[in-house]
Amino acid sequence: MCSHNCGQEVTVVDGSVVNITGVDGHPRGSAGPGTEGTLCPKGLGQQDKTHDPKRIKEPHIRKNGELQKVSWEEAFEFTADRLVSFADEYGEETLLDATSWAETPIFSTVWRELYGTPERISRGIHVCAGPTFVTGGMMGVGSNNRVPDYQNSDYIIAWGRNQLNSFAGQFEAKGTLEAIENRGATLVTIDPQHTITAEKSDKWLPIEPRTDGALALAMANVIIEEDLYDQEFVENYTHGFDAYKEAAADMPPEDAAEITGIPAEDIREVARGFAEAAPRAGISVWTGTAQMGNGWKATQNITALNGLVGNIDRPGGLRLWEYASTASFGEVCEMDYTNRAQFKEPAITKYEEYSDYPVRHITDIAHNLVPEMVDNGHINGIVVHHDDPLKDGNAEEWVRAIEEMALVISIDAYWNGVSRNADVVLPEATSLEKDTLGTGNWSAYPNHKWVTGGKAAVDPQWNTKPDFDILTGIASAMAEKTDNDDWRIFEQWDSHEDFIDDQLSTLDLTLEELSSGEKNYELVEEYDYEKWKDNDNFVFRFDLDQVGSFAQAAEEAGMSTAPEWIPPGTYGDSTSDEYPLEFYDVRSVFFSHGSNQPQERLQDHFAKRNDLNEEDYRGNYLHINPEDAEARGIETGDMVTVESKTGSGELMAHVTENARPGFVTAEYGFGETSATPDGEGMNTMTLHDKQMDPITGQVDRHIAVDVKPEGGD
Amino acid sequence: MAVESEHWVFYFDPNRCIGCHACSISCKQFHGRGSDTDDWRTVTHHQTGTYPDVEDVPLSMSCMHCHDAPCEKVCPTNAIEKRESDGIVTINRDDCIGCKYCGWACPFGAPTYGDEGLMSKCNMCLGQGPGSGADVEDTPKHELEDQVEPNCVSDCVGEAIKAGPQKEIIEEASQAAAERFRSGAVANGRVIVEPLQDSTSAVDGRVDGTKEVTTPYNAGD
Repeated sequence: MCSHNCGQEVTVVDGSVVNITGVDGHPRGSAGPGTEGTLCPKGLGQQDKTHDPKRIKEPHIRKNGELQKVSWEEAFEFTADRLVSFADEYGEETLLDATSWAETPIFSTVWRELYGTPERISRGIHVCAGPTFVTGGMMGVGSNNRVPDYQNSDYIIAWGRNQLNSFAGQFEAKGTLEAIENRGATLVTIDPQHTITAEKSDKWLPIEPRTDGALALAMANVIIEEDLYDQEFVENYTHGFDAYKEAAADMPPEDAAEITGIPAEDIREVARGFAEAAPRAGISVWTGTAQMGNGWKATQNITALNGLVGNIDRPGGLRLWEYASTASFGEVCEMDYTNRAQFKEPAITKYEEYSDYPVRHITDIAHNLVPEMVDNGHINGIVVHHDDPLKDGNAEEWVRAIEEMALVISIDAYWNGVSRNADVVLPEATSLEKDTLGTGNWSAYPNHKWVTGGKAAVDPQWNTKPDFDILTGIASAMAEKTDNDDWRIFEQWDSHEDFIDDQLSTLDLTLEELSSGEKNYELVEEYDYEKWKDNDNFVFRFDLDQVGSFAQAAEEAGMSTAPEWIPPGTYGDSTSDEYPLEFYDVRSVFFSHGSNQPQERLQDHFAKRNDLNEEDYRGNYLHINPEDAEARGIETGDMVTVESKTGSGELMAHVTENARPGFVTAEYGFGETSATPDGEGMNTMTLHDKQMDPITGQVDRHIAVDVKPEGGD
Repeated sequence: MAVESEHWVFYFDPNRCIGCHACSISCKQFHGRGSDTDDWRTVTHHQTGTYPDVEDVPLSMSCMHCHDAPCEKVCPTNAIEKRESDGIVTINRDDCIGCKYCGWACPFGAPTYGDEGLMSKCNMCLGQGPGSGADVEDTPKHELEDQVEPNCVSDCVGEAIKAGPQKEIIEEASQAAAERFRSGAVANGRVIVEPLQDSTSAVDGRVDGTKEVTTPYNAGD
């Protein structure tokens, strides 16, 4: 349902889930010790999802052009046949592994190590927040630059984030509210839209879209100018301060005010407030500042502020969160096998067709380039698990690419643009129907690593299987087909629980122990703040000139290695007379990415949230300011056409003062390629072409558009 | 009749409500009510001002189990009962004739018409499903065996909703909220509501409960 692992407690009567609620004190689903655990709408929706008659109920294979129901045995055998002939005809290295949201780590064992493809596309850096993840890593704090130590903070900046509704575990919302209530923390939201987080904030900075990089530099300007930075930290633990100082000096608040639309005195106030509260001051940042062409510099400039005020791994600041040390696959696997992808180079670095893309120095694939790779014959098939690449950028080309691929394997619970077009459809049981083990780093326990998990609450519904059983089923069929005994490595485990117990062995735990009793989590290891003090290799890099791969990519992309201001449009769209509005797609508390739109209760409440539940329409909405709506003769409830240079689509208008004039938004994951059964609403990424951050290939979701009442003028 | 201080009331803190609708969804799921039925607990969003001086305040409401229970007074078949022990208002659907008087009488439109041509509303999770709870013995809910916390309370992500005997809940409220409650300034003393912080009085007035609340289309049509 959601990869963020909030604990779920269910009541089962006669094999059916009749109630679901949260787990008290849960690391992700509560505010910490002694607090109640709850579930957000997505988590509550798991009850309906478990018994949803719209799910894929049987395995299917494509015979004579039609998808037909078959037994699992036949489905596995067919899959193995096709995988073997695919390898013979096209080469196994041309199968793209697009498996996300896995509840078992053996996906990479099967597709990468056993089948042997080096092509892997994941959510994190490819379509979610490439610049945020990767700058964090290069600057020395890892992807920990995203989630601060909320509960201990006195000053929280929600930067392009709406963590009270769009959270990575409910503890983010709860921790923010706790900091306000218990510590009197100041909350500042930087966002072009008015959100619930903006509503609860002491200060909301309604920023001009894509100008976050300028605001961050202006804040640094104030902090350096007024000597509010942590000189001890900067001198002893950082690199490249001079270059940073120079970039900040070039962006006084008055200049930034022109760019961002935020008055200079507000910039000064927030800069001082943040620096004075430091180290108990943290920035929450994720997709909002990353999904744009100039997202790299925005994120680098924002992350740099943490190093400047020295909040690194200190209470209330940027926490260097850690994972529990469960055993990896390699550690628990008692059989030797050959890693068949080990020395294979991904196409993007192997072939000169991609030599113009700086991204090849940083990552192994870029989402927007996959259709081109299909045209070039470098990708010929795909295996997709619970994800829908057709709504994540360059959508029309992706739809065409899926149709052209020689082999499409879909492991999913719902019919969507991928499963409907697949050659093999393997229906997966959802999370309450299988044994699960989860962990994560950030949580409501800033000094504890943790694990969570549980045994299946009910049997797999209809003729579905847990992902572990699907993958081991494919492996057994491959062992028969290929005579390669490496495919037999999963035979050492009798069940998924057996495998989970092996993973937990390093913590001296079993799944039975983890899931019995009042709670379904364990706090396993303690760790302290400021661990970098004992690490001679720790350095916080303002300037990334020492990171060779980046230096090369930056040079090709025409940017500096140090923090700098890059205006919008340099790498992406600019608005024009023809396309005067800026479009950006957003998330809502009711839907997790593409997976949940089929849930009626959630659809209805989403409609209620927008006061449009009386309409016979359950798609996404175009949120537009009254000023822009009036100029176009558009009223709430009207169907409208959104058009960009490369695509268009239709959806219902929601005229609201929460929308910034000139800036329109819509929730993504709807339309004909999504899991919404009737395909209502619009696939927002049909507006998109190949706009991206040149460094990470992160899809740039800011698109120049115009909006017209349905049917045009 | 137990004194009012023993009677159950709801508490709502708009400062902690994140407008996520989990309360409303959780209520529907627990009571096994279809997606197309009315909400017993509903979340509305109250927007004022123009960008960027805009406020958008979420408000979660349900039957308040009023001390004076106007719905009970108008019910011609006495299907509606305000329990003496804990003040929870139940509907006995064996006696309900679907006349909708209760829906008209309620200032908040809490009882709604729809489920099988009968009225239904929140029963503080005294039982599961429309009409449930009417047959539960009249012992205070907090003293009954196997009683669950109302689902909207246990699933509120922001911990904005509480429910329980008035004297206990009022202890947990701020002084300002308690005073407003006692003076009847908010919804005639039916529900304890925290004052909205850092907000205009116009918006706060809305959150007080009665001004903007509209009767659902099928409350008593």
